[in-house]
Amino acid sequence: MTARAVSTKGQGAVRATDAGLALWFALAILFLFAPIAVSILYSFNAGIVGKQTAQFTGWTLDWYPAAWNDLALRRSVQTSLYVAFWAALIALAMGTSLGYALVRHPSARVRWWLSGLTYILLIVPEVVIGVSLLLFYAVTGVPLGAATLIAGITPAAIAVTALIVRARALTLDPRLEEAAADLGSTRLKTLWFIILPQLLPAILAGGLMSYAFCFDNLVVAAFLTTPTVNTLPVYLYGSLQYGPAPSVYAAATVVFLFTVTLLGLAALCFQLSRKPGRAGAG
Amino acid sequence: MTFVKQPDRANARLAAPVRWADHGFAAIPTLWLAVFFLAPLCFTVVYSFGNSLFGAVELGFTLKNYQTALSGFYLTTFLRTVQFAVTASALCLAVAFPVAYFIARKAGRFRTLALVLILVPYFSSFLVRVMSWQILLARGGVLETVLNALHLHSGPLDLLDTKTAVFIGMVYAYLPIAIVPLFVVLDRIPPALLEASRDLGASRWQTFYAVTLPLARPGIATAVLLTAVPMLGEMVIPRLLGGSRGVLMGQAIQSQYMQSQNYALGSAMAVLVLIAVAILVAALARLTKGFATVPA
Repeated sequence: MTARAVSTKGQGAVRATDAGLALWFALAILFLFAPIAVSILYSFNAGIVGKQTAQFTGWTLDWYPAAWNDLALRRSVQTSLYVAFWAALIALAMGTSLGYALVRHPSARVRWWLSGLTYILLIVPEVVIGVSLLLFYAVTGVPLGAATLIAGITPAAIAVTALIVRARALTLDPRLEEAAADLGSTRLKTLWFIILPQLLPAILAGGLMSYAFCFDNLVVAAFLTTPTVNTLPVYLYGSLQYGPAPSVYAAATVVFLFTVTLLGLAALCFQLSRKPGRAGAG
Repeated sequence: MTFVKQPDRANARLAAPVRWADHGFAAIPTLWLAVFFLAPLCFTVVYSFGNSLFGAVELGFTLKNYQTALSGFYLTTFLRTVQFAVTASALCLAVAFPVAYFIARKAGRFRTLALVLILVPYFSSFLVRVMSWQILLARGGVLETVLNALHLHSGPLDLLDTKTAVFIGMVYAYLPIAIVPLFVVLDRIPPALLEASRDLGASRWQTFYAVTLPLARPGIATAVLLTAVPMLGEMVIPRLLGGSRGVLMGQAIQSQYMQSQNYALGSAMAVLVLIAVAILVAALARLTKGFATVPA
């Protein structure tokens, strides 16, 4: 650990601890990836009479076309894509606005209340949000549909986006804005041409994270779906009581590859956002 | 920069005519969240004091729902949920701490890769990962085969639909979000502090207990918060891995809304979960006393 001289006995103990830690880390990775590996492997499992089995009964590629041809499954994927897109877009706008206000609002008391609100968003269990929204819509007489579902899954995504944007806004150099003001820029022009380009990578990272979150949302969506607006996780959850078909795993594998691609993009954006900001019209 | 006189920051702010932009940035998301988050929560609190009719609630003030929610089957469920969340969160912390320690201190140039590996599973479908645990834990499933091959266990393995399976699933699902805050605090401890501790004659374990662990307190508190809170409301893992025995609060609330249509009782149970969360937050706030901010 340090360059200081240690006795050979001490070094042996250090090496044993380090090896133990490395082994623990490797086991944790194995633990985390085992179910994903299983879900991919079992999307090729033949199964028995169209049902998934714990024992691997043989290889087949049939489940991928089967998943594609399952109309209800395909519709639920479409709904999920649509719902997650609009929810992520709203979370991106609201979260950016909130994240910026968390850092730059002139009043310290307002900043305190806003950060309180942001943390509360993260610590209310999803099931409580789900039932509260269901009750809220029932009492106010708003019929459930795509819009009510989209609005309902935004709060947690807004909090995540706000925290990412906040982290970036904290590193903004105020001298750039002052220089812009000196050169005759208005507040709005400064916001658009100086601040927004610097925040953009964080905003995109937040938006993509929100998209992944909203796409995968099960608990809140379970309370707000209707027979016509059914998302993929809710559809899968509902299909479980009949025993899941391997086509479910095939669909999940495709969605996983899609999500990992999105995350790769988000990581790229975040990496860019950590580099010193380049001011100016982007 | 040196030859231009820098304007005073406060003056620059005052000179800015468009203060409404700042208020707009704060007001628009607050308004949105007030409608789609705070108002629904208030409805739940108000309705938890109402009289329940089938599928509807008559407003009023009664503590009847809380009496029901705190007696018999519902009380057992509530206490079981708190016990499960606390135990599973502690287990999660125990598994996560060495992993975070390894990434922060020992992973060297692989630390970014190590962090990414920890986080990737968190973004695959939560439901499918839990479903896959059914395959892993089932009789004649993958885990049984592996354990038998390693001679760690012999014969069939009956883990599915047990408490153990629920704990495995909970620790599994929330491990990544426990590791991240622990990593952040461990990463922030300056190496000079540890070297100073060594130079003053402390052993590695003494350094760990006297320097690393106390400085990691905010991270531990955040990790517990981020794992125990969703565990208090968890409804998917217990249903898929715990079978019909041992219902937890999340499922109990869901069934009040979806099956029994007793919105008032369901609301009272939801408020109880929120109270448990509030107590947890207050307890954790004490743990981080003396630290300015809790990293999120």
